[in-house]
Amino acid sequence: MTSVRSALMLMLLAGDAGAAALVATVTDAAGAAVPEAVIYAMPVSGKPPAAAPRPAAMDQINKEFVPFVIPVQLGAPVTFPNKDNIRHHVYSFSPAKTFDLKLYSGKPANPVVFDKPGPVALGCNIHDWMVGFVYVVESPWFAKTAKTGAAKLDLSDGEYDLKVWHPWQRAELPAQRVKVGGTETQASFKLDLNPPPKVTPH
Amino acid sequence: MALPRLRSLQARIALFFVILLITVQAVLVLLVSVSGERIAKDRIAQDLLVGERVFRRLIEQSNRQLGDAARILAADFGFRTAIATRDYGTIVSVLGNHGARIDANVVMLADLDRKLLADTLHREQRAAEFPFPDLIALAERDRQASSIVLIDGKPYQVVVVPVLAPVPIAWVAMGFVIDDRVALDLQAVAALHVTFLSERKDGRWTLHASTLPGPLRAALIETDTGGGKAGLGFMNLAGEEYETLAPVLGAGPEGRVVALLQRSLREGLEPFERLRTILLVMTLVSIGMTIAGSVLIARSVSRPVNRLAAIARSIRDGDYSLKAEVEGQDEISELAASFNHMLDGISTREEEILRLAYEDTLTTLPNRAMFLDRLKQAVLTARRTSDPVSVMMIDLDRFKVINDSLGHAAGDQVLREVADRLRELLRDSDTVARLGGDEFAVLLPTGTADGVAIVAQRILRTLEVPIVLEGQPVDIGASIGVACFPEHDDEGDSLLRHADVAMYVAKRANSGYAIYDPRYEEGRQTQLSLLSELRRAVENDELSLFYQPKIDLKSGAIRRVEALVRWMHPTRGFVPPIEFIPFAEQTGYIKRVTRWVVENAVRQAGLWHRERLDIAISVNISTRDLMSNELVDLVAALLQKHAVPAEQLCLEITESGFMEDPARALETLGRLHALGLRLSVDDFGTGYSSLAYLKKLPVQELKIDRSFVMHMVEDEDDATIVRSTIELGHNMGLEVVAEGVEDHAGLDFLKRLGCDQVQGYYISKPLPTQQFVEWLEARRATEQNTEAASA
Repeated sequence: MTSVRSALMLMLLAGDAGAAALVATVTDAAGAAVPEAVIYAMPVSGKPPAAAPRPAAMDQINKEFVPFVIPVQLGAPVTFPNKDNIRHHVYSFSPAKTFDLKLYSGKPANPVVFDKPGPVALGCNIHDWMVGFVYVVESPWFAKTAKTGAAKLDLSDGEYDLKVWHPWQRAELPAQRVKVGGTETQASFKLDLNPPPKVTPH
Repeated sequence: MALPRLRSLQARIALFFVILLITVQAVLVLLVSVSGERIAKDRIAQDLLVGERVFRRLIEQSNRQLGDAARILAADFGFRTAIATRDYGTIVSVLGNHGARIDANVVMLADLDRKLLADTLHREQRAAEFPFPDLIALAERDRQASSIVLIDGKPYQVVVVPVLAPVPIAWVAMGFVIDDRVALDLQAVAALHVTFLSERKDGRWTLHASTLPGPLRAALIETDTGGGKAGLGFMNLAGEEYETLAPVLGAGPEGRVVALLQRSLREGLEPFERLRTILLVMTLVSIGMTIAGSVLIARSVSRPVNRLAAIARSIRDGDYSLKAEVEGQDEISELAASFNHMLDGISTREEEILRLAYEDTLTTLPNRAMFLDRLKQAVLTARRTSDPVSVMMIDLDRFKVINDSLGHAAGDQVLREVADRLRELLRDSDTVARLGGDEFAVLLPTGTADGVAIVAQRILRTLEVPIVLEGQPVDIGASIGVACFPEHDDEGDSLLRHADVAMYVAKRANSGYAIYDPRYEEGRQTQLSLLSELRRAVENDELSLFYQPKIDLKSGAIRRVEALVRWMHPTRGFVPPIEFIPFAEQTGYIKRVTRWVVENAVRQAGLWHRERLDIAISVNISTRDLMSNELVDLVAALLQKHAVPAEQLCLEITESGFMEDPARALETLGRLHALGLRLSVDDFGTGYSSLAYLKKLPVQELKIDRSFVMHMVEDEDDATIVRSTIELGHNMGLEVVAEGVEDHAGLDFLKRLGCDQVQGYYISKPLPTQQFVEWLEARRATEQNTEAASA
């Protein structure tokens, strides 16, 4: 949450001219609010401005990844601080980033740099139920839905392809083309989720 | 002896129980067989259904275990790392290596798009579709899926689990080939024969694993069970019936796999077969015991029964010495006890019957049967020893009269008294018997004729002593006939008959006793043919009437005659009345004779009446004639027919004749008297008629018996009797006739006594009709001459 806020802060700082807010709402098939969904926007024309990706941290607290999902910009370094008093062995076999951090305590020396876009599923080789995601996007405009299922993006005026991603989505939804300018723009996504069976920590 | 007995009671009892037993056991065996098979089938069906559940549970359990193993394997970091490499060679070797850890026979890896990444069975095959996408679909939901599927025509238990990192990155399928070992493991738990079969798409069946022995497997494949080897049914394998349940375990692209759960019907029936064998053994044993028991029980019945039967046979033969043994308290013993009582009863009664059979109950003297028996024995003994044996027949003279006039009780008393006297008089070695009626007999085993005469006289003397009846002394008297062995006859029966003859002779002769003389038999023999001859005589008019005149002593005139029947036999000549009249009376033929006499006498009276001869005819009437009305009717008709005045006919009836049935006699006499006939009491003084009774009789005449008349001149007693009879008759207003006058002295005597009429040889013997008429006319002529002379 802190990282989201800091990102927004950065965007506010960056976008002087014609900046506008976009609020995207994600619901599931039943209409319930879907939190932890990543919303990101890709400009229809041109490239997103090159900016240094912000680092992020994926904590391990009480044998859970916190937060569950972290959206990061391509090339962002992510640290995996272990806040528990036991060791963890964080790994990923995702094509976007395959790595493993062998048994460690505290904060590993080097952060992991995510250099390919796409989802990266995080697991702990010691605690099978632990699951977390780093979603690597190629855009600086991204946000994560809150409990209300809403995420806010501050964008410059222009046309964007708005995309959504959630770890339990059944299928990738097509991008929504939105025109941002002036007032706040609204967008909504309806995701068909297929959450895996809940495994209780032990 | 033992065999027919066995055939009867023992065999019947044994047979009954054996048949009963066999029937019951047969029904039982039948029930066991019928219901046994049904129960066995039901039971097997039940077992199969339970077995199927157990089987499925086992498969599930096995799936879970395999799944767990597979999941653990899939979670292995090295495994996951290898998969993440996407290096085909590495992946295949990892799959092989890790699959071997849990004894998997095949391991396949599919990506999330269900494309085959690796297959340990088909290493060359790549990028093909994963053959069991359905299992992946299930595994997505349940984290595990399993089924039994065909791979290369072989059944495998396949488990599909995701490779989690920690989200699924691939699907790993592990297969475990199903072989006989699996089948045996399942059989050990489910207790059923287990066979795994597959049916390919083309309908071909293949047997993969089985607990059945080899030959049965071949049979199973060849068996066409109609229902495609599925469902519940029966299957005949090599002649043995199997109940079968075939649940489908799984289906795949190659076909479906079916498990055949079976149990032999024979196995199910085994307990019932054992039960049947036990029943059979029990049946045989109990049949043996039944036979033995029945024979024992039957013997316990039949042995005493046979003993009783033996005793009964000896009783039949007259031996009462055996007694039935009474042992125990069962029915047979009761029977034996009853049998003994019966035995006592029979012997007691037999003694009684014997006593009754051989004893005269009134006098307790031996009876005729016993007398004859002893006589026979005595004669047999006498034949050996040459000793004489004498038989006496004793007949009481006046018993009949006493019995009739004083009653049977008095008669019985007389018989008892006589018996007592005879018993007292004779020796114990002599036998006194009452033969019947007033007949007694005496057997003197050693008596000679002379000795017997002395005994006879002593008996006569004893019996002459009057018997006191109701305070009145009564004379009985007896006549005795004697016959001796061997001089008279050498047979007992004949001796008794001879004694009887002699007795009659003595009675007739009034001589007390008579010793048999063969001459007695002569007259007797002739009597036998008399009846038929007498009948012929009546029909052929061989009889004729003779007339004996009676003289009126006051006037000397002849006014009456007695008609006497005479028989001129064509060959024998003259037959005296004494030879046929008593005989005719005995046989009842006398009535026919009387009829003839009356008819002829009345006819003659009619003739004389018309000739004015003035002669009344007396006719002797038998006692029997008074017992019916025939005589009255006959006389009335004859008198009318021949126009004879009634007073011209007189009927003479002997005094004893009245006494037979006094009331009846009196009635008949009354009617005869009413006809106007003259009635006369014949042989007066020989009977016992009381004067009071005599007074009642409607008679006009008394006829004094000749026995008194013949000796009255010499014998003072007879003279007194004759005198007092005449006085008595006159006092009662009767005429008195004396017969048997044979000389002038008698005639004078009677004349002096005032007798009214006399009859006898002195006046005239009985004469034939013509001679009598001539005699009468001559006499009347003389009378007239005498009268004329005297006048």
